[in-house]
Amino acid sequence: MCQPKAFAFRIGIGWMLLALLAAACAPAAAPTPGPSPTPVVVERVVTPTPTPKGPVTITFWHAYNPEETKVFNEQVLPAFHQKFPNIRIEAQQVPYDEFRRKLLTSIAGGTAPDVIRSDIIWVPELAAMGALEALDVIMPDFNAYKEKVFPGPLSTNLWQGHYYGLPLDTNTRLLMWNKEMYAAAGIAEPPKTIDEFLRVCERIKALGRDKYCFADGGTYGWAVLPWIWSFGGDLTDPEMKTASGYVNGPDTVAAYEFLKGMLDKGYLHPGILGGGVDTAGGFARDEIANLLEGPWMPAIFAAQYPQKQIQWALMPAGKGGSISVVGGEDIVLFKQSRNKEAALEFIRFMLSPEAQLMMARAGQVPVRTDVIEQAVQAQPYFALFFEQLKTARARLPHPNWPKIEDLLTSTGQAILRGEKGAKEALDELAPKIDALLKQQ
Amino acid sequence: MTRPGGRAQPGPREEGTVWNQGSLRAQRLRAAYLFMLPGMTFFLIFYLYPLIQALRISLYEWSIMPGQDSRFVGAANYLRALRDPIFWISMRNTVLYTAVTVPGQMILAMLVALALHAIPRWRVLFRTLYYLPVITSWVVAALLFKFLFHSQSGLINYLLVDVLHLSDHYIPWLQNPETALVAIMTLGVWKGIGWSMVIFLAALQDIPLELYEAAALDGAGRWGRFRYITLPMMRPTAIFVLVMLVIGGFNVFLPVYLMTGGAPMHRTETLLTYMYNEAFNFLDFGYGAALSYMLAILIFLLSFIQIKLLRRPMEL
Repeated sequence: MCQPKAFAFRIGIGWMLLALLAAACAPAAAPTPGPSPTPVVVERVVTPTPTPKGPVTITFWHAYNPEETKVFNEQVLPAFHQKFPNIRIEAQQVPYDEFRRKLLTSIAGGTAPDVIRSDIIWVPELAAMGALEALDVIMPDFNAYKEKVFPGPLSTNLWQGHYYGLPLDTNTRLLMWNKEMYAAAGIAEPPKTIDEFLRVCERIKALGRDKYCFADGGTYGWAVLPWIWSFGGDLTDPEMKTASGYVNGPDTVAAYEFLKGMLDKGYLHPGILGGGVDTAGGFARDEIANLLEGPWMPAIFAAQYPQKQIQWALMPAGKGGSISVVGGEDIVLFKQSRNKEAALEFIRFMLSPEAQLMMARAGQVPVRTDVIEQAVQAQPYFALFFEQLKTARARLPHPNWPKIEDLLTSTGQAILRGEKGAKEALDELAPKIDALLKQQ
Repeated sequence: MTRPGGRAQPGPREEGTVWNQGSLRAQRLRAAYLFMLPGMTFFLIFYLYPLIQALRISLYEWSIMPGQDSRFVGAANYLRALRDPIFWISMRNTVLYTAVTVPGQMILAMLVALALHAIPRWRVLFRTLYYLPVITSWVVAALLFKFLFHSQSGLINYLLVDVLHLSDHYIPWLQNPETALVAIMTLGVWKGIGWSMVIFLAALQDIPLELYEAAALDGAGRWGRFRYITLPMMRPTAIFVLVMLVIGGFNVFLPVYLMTGGAPMHRTETLLTYMYNEAFNFLDFGYGAALSYMLAILIFLLSFIQIKLLRRPMEL
């Protein structure tokens, strides 16, 4: 009669071990959603799906900031819904820092949104992955839009001969300077060159120990590339074949040494080492004299620091000129979308002069050449952004950019913390980037 | 089963009791399995299936797109980890976190439990207060600690520099790997005390008072009673808590992810944050799965060794 008992006991032990293993893996298992059990049938529709008769819902993810979201929800969406009563846009604001991860998880699970407003640096990766629909293939009137937009932002959608999206907005970083702090330091004009910038910094620092000339959030590409390029340096050759001789070239080294010097002299806010720095707040409180910022700032300041004025100037020029970094977003359509025709209508609408000008009010620089004049009339400060965009450059449009940027960020930290010399650290970095450039 | 006035033999069965003893057991077993079914189903679908699937993924260069081919690479992902310096950094940090927070939680929890056990009134109130961090969301607690340890405007720096004058400059807690780990471990200990404390308190209350009385009669002092009665009686509980906390320690994820995200330079990375980063930032699901499997095997072995070494025959 003890047989079942022993059996039960053994089961009990087995259970405990399994449970232990399960407990051990539980948090690991939670964030790892294996690929969906039943492979989702990916629609490979080349000809557009027929125009929907009944009401359809299109999911749209974006990372608009609160000011932009307000304009989008209160002006753009109602206008679209009025025009297309059969199409409902379910818009979801996803914080930028979580956006890519959340998106990749949903792609893996077969539940990708129909359309997203994607950071331009994600498009090559998404296209290489096979997640996106080539718009120049499925959109009969693609060329009509292609001709209307700026070529630079358009090119961020190009991957191996096809356009996987259309540009939605563009931006770059300008020098945002603090007139009150400049006045206190006895400076009237913003610096035009990096040498002048250093002289400004010297006088700003004289204002006090807790006054900083410049601040940035870290050593990622968006932050360091304007300095690298303006110093005449680069990350790779133009064909993105090799980083050796570029990322460890003398001009790139000089750019990092400049940043290190800025930090050592107390010109550069130590927040660049991490731990968070409230750049906008510091600027508004007259603790930070310069930032490199984008066209969304006036709307944010109008809402949060209405008493503080913002001044803009071009990125200070170095040996390589005044070269800033191109940002912006593209609008892309996923292969997993079930209502591509309706989704395309939404994409067309987002690129219409009407929607472009609405979003311009929240600081989104339009990409249509034919609305520029109107946009600049409404937002005069856009003019300088267009000026900077003439020379601004994009981060590496390479599917491995996230990994490359991770290495770049760590290397920048090692240099600024004085753990390694700039030349030594960048020499170590170059072959690692070379390897990542080779694998696609 | 003798009845008064009857013979000692199986009497006529009463109405309704149609089962003999054996089939009653079968019936009970069936009921038991039936009760286990929902849990078992849940376990199979949400634990066992992902476990097996993750093992499979770890042997591939896994493509996350549904329908795309993945390349079988055998043990390459596992071998890659052994050569990966960041893997070893995250391993060191994970071990360090466990080595510091587990004893930290257990000692403090024991002290609190002893104190609460000794006070006659307000015990429930204090127990609740000490338990509050346990039920507080990790996200809320981690963000709170991030503010506390903020370089410029954090309370910790304010206390150290402006109130106590222990340092003449603000410590950039979350900027430097070492100090960031201190902040993360502080959070880990603070959040965990309550859980161990409640279990210790229950164990304390289960110790028969007679033992203490007998010891007192034999002349044992306070320390003697603690050393020879309380501690040995608490041993099984302490081992259980130890095993659970070590498992929890190796699984540390949210405090690190939320407070530093592994920055700077991946120096505060732990195994799970590194796994998460590789899988979800870089889409290297094969490598991520391999990392989590290595962690699972490690925890399994550690738990097994702990139970084997520390368990005594009469204890579970």
